[in-house]
Amino acid sequence: MVTGYKQEYVYKHPWERVTSASWRKFADDENKRILSHILEVDMLNHNLDPSNGILRTTRAITVHCPGPWFVRKIVGQDMCQCVESTLVDAQNRSMQLISRNISLQKFIEVQEMTRYDPHPDNPAGWTLCRQETSIRIKPFSALASMAEKVEKRCAERFLQNSGKSKEVMERICKYLEAEATGLSL
Amino acid sequence: MNEKKASSKYSSSTSPCSHLRDAYNNCFNRWYSEKFMKGHWDKQECVDEWQKYRACLSQHLDDKLLSRFLEAEQIDQRHLSTSSND
Repeated sequence: MVTGYKQEYVYKHPWERVTSASWRKFADDENKRILSHILEVDMLNHNLDPSNGILRTTRAITVHCPGPWFVRKIVGQDMCQCVESTLVDAQNRSMQLISRNISLQKFIEVQEMTRYDPHPDNPAGWTLCRQETSIRIKPFSALASMAEKVEKRCAERFLQNSGKSKEVMERICKYLEAEATGLSL
Repeated sequence: MNEKKASSKYSSSTSPCSHLRDAYNNCFNRWYSEKFMKGHWDKQECVDEWQKYRACLSQHLDDKLLSRFLEAEQIDQRHLSTSSND
């Protein structure tokens, strides 16, 4: 079983501001309350290529993912470790992220691919965010018999959280915008 | 007891590094918005903050977990480079 979905979202802010917001998303305290499923985010690696402006990073993310009681009973924990790999190409204005779980893999595989690109209708002012998520219960795991149900629940939870995430991103963008105009006054 | 042990291991494994993490994140975010996004990518900054933070992480992150992270990183970073060359 695989459940997948795609989402697109337009930020009416320039690419530089939106990708800055993406880095700050998990950092400040107010956002931490809203994104309370994110318990810990740590940078594991960062690498800048000074010849072409390509930044690569890897972050470790600990997520709280409480399932229904019967899933918790089988899985035995409600924390999940994820890895997020990012590539920012500053010259070509593109940011790509891949996140996936590296714990609980014998039960489930979740992968999320995100891209931030300048919006074709307004490349200087807007940003297009495209996201593809796939959720797959392992066929012979203890969850296989209820795969469909678990995947569906999981997808619902993901959509809920990505709604919260957009809200936080929008707020940081506004904040960065105010900061930038304040400085230029 | 097992349960308690497991939860503390997962929930606060790197929290002893939170001050160093904040210092690094602040530096990184400033560098990203004010330099990197403005075309100044000739050198990596926040080196001092990074080294201190990283030293703390390597002390507190479980070795097995870390090696799984790095394994995943190799695969995914390769994936990212191919799609950017499309």
